[in-house]
Amino acid sequence: MENAVSLANVTKTFGATRAVDGLTLTIPRGRTVALLGPNGAGKSTAIGMLLGLFPPDSGTVSLFGRDPEQAVRHGRVGAMPQEGGIITRVTVRELLSFVSRTYREPLPLDRLLALAQLTGLRDRRVDRLSGGQAQRVRFAMAIAGDPELIVLDEPTAALDVEARRELWASMRGFAERGRTILFSTHYLEEADEQADRVIVINRGRVAADGTSAEIKREVALTTVSVTVGGEAAWLGRLPGVTRMEVAGDRARLHSSDPDATVMALARAGAVRDIEVTPADLEDAFVALTATRPLAKENA
Amino acid sequence: MWGYIRLELIRSVRDGGYIVFGVVMPVVMYLLFTNLGLAQGDKHDAAIFTMVSMAAYGALGSAFNNGSGIAEDRAAGWLRQLRLTPMTPAQVVAGKVATGVLGVVPSIAAVLLTGALVNHVTLTPGQWLEIIVLLWVGTVPFSLLGLGNGYRLTGQTAAMANLATMLGLSILGGLWIPVTGFPGWLRAISEWTPSNSYAALSWHAAFGEAPALREIAILAGWLVVFGLYAMYGYRRAGKTA
Repeated sequence: MENAVSLANVTKTFGATRAVDGLTLTIPRGRTVALLGPNGAGKSTAIGMLLGLFPPDSGTVSLFGRDPEQAVRHGRVGAMPQEGGIITRVTVRELLSFVSRTYREPLPLDRLLALAQLTGLRDRRVDRLSGGQAQRVRFAMAIAGDPELIVLDEPTAALDVEARRELWASMRGFAERGRTILFSTHYLEEADEQADRVIVINRGRVAADGTSAEIKREVALTTVSVTVGGEAAWLGRLPGVTRMEVAGDRARLHSSDPDATVMALARAGAVRDIEVTPADLEDAFVALTATRPLAKENA
Repeated sequence: MWGYIRLELIRSVRDGGYIVFGVVMPVVMYLLFTNLGLAQGDKHDAAIFTMVSMAAYGALGSAFNNGSGIAEDRAAGWLRQLRLTPMTPAQVVAGKVATGVLGVVPSIAAVLLTGALVNHVTLTPGQWLEIIVLLWVGTVPFSLLGLGNGYRLTGQTAAMANLATMLGLSILGGLWIPVTGFPGWLRAISEWTPSNSYAALSWHAAFGEAPALREIAILAGWLVVFGLYAMYGYRRAGKTA
């Protein structure tokens, strides 16, 4: 079965800025994937190209093995751009039934309204909705055609906690139908909680790719601290340890494999005041998107 | 595409600008001009002449208003949203042109009905049919000019440009004041405008005269110019959408 999304060596330059710089990634079907990165990392540009809104300068983009524009024409993709799409002088029902009818096999309207939690708002004018409600209308437009893939560019930016929670409930409802979801975000906890897989993008390329646990491990930000008496250099050679700091009699070991590190410490009988601090994704994110290139940091 | 046209027509009907400039104003002005004795000459002739002028003026109003809607839609990210549905760009453009073409119908109908029912204008069925068709089909160049502005300019600017163009063409084309009252030099300019040629075709028909080839040629010329302009605007907008 072909991938839902495939980008190979894609670049895009706007003026003097290289927004996307050799981006390569594939997303199999049925996954919920987060595209995580700071502002200006190239997330929106990547999304624009994979929706066929503009062509890449070089490289290839395909959705379900075909040209993105074709995939959109065939109704296999639904999308929620970062903003826009809320027009004046129409009701929720009028807008959504129009969008639905552009697709060959749309979700039934009642189903769509229920999934997006809009049933009670069906006869309201879309330009008179609150920010959170309008966002759910935009989400409903993305899923109206019951597409196999939905792409959401920072769907929860500018939403309050409650509105964000409601939108995620709607999105999980859609994902349960076996659909593929790709969303960009700069909220780390959102990527951590909602995605099966996180692709960290920085300066137009992939900085890390995996489950959030894998990413945390990859940047070796779990620390194992122990109290040591005397010489401590041997601790740096323990399995998993990539870096070590010693302050007084306390050693902080940064480990890419904290389990192995702890086992080795136990075998050596050096587990005095042992403390394991898991990294949060935020630390990983900062490490991955710091000004220094990641490769040098890990070497 | 029918769904798109339907949606756009619903939006037009709820648009105050469309109702005021496209439907209410022309009818009110028609009644004022004809019943306050502002139009010169024979009363029945004036009622016919002004009926055509005001129907043309109303049609211009809604054709240009439709164009301004495009700029609003662009600003609202609606055109991009449409690109993300299975609709093709050609369908979107055709739908918007069709909305413009259908949107002028109430404007023309309102003034013609006022003419027939209130001002007791009597024409042969053939003449009615002729002016309805001419007034209707003749709006296409103006729809295209309005769309061109809508694609090329941003929201407020497009609305202002379209309103100014609409008023300018109405006045210069002799829809408000007949060109017979113009000084010679202004009259010469007026005879080259699309709005004058557009209305003149129906004036001739309403008074049982044959259409002048010159007017058809001028209107067709402007149709080509405005068509190219709309295409240029659309291409430019596509690059920034």
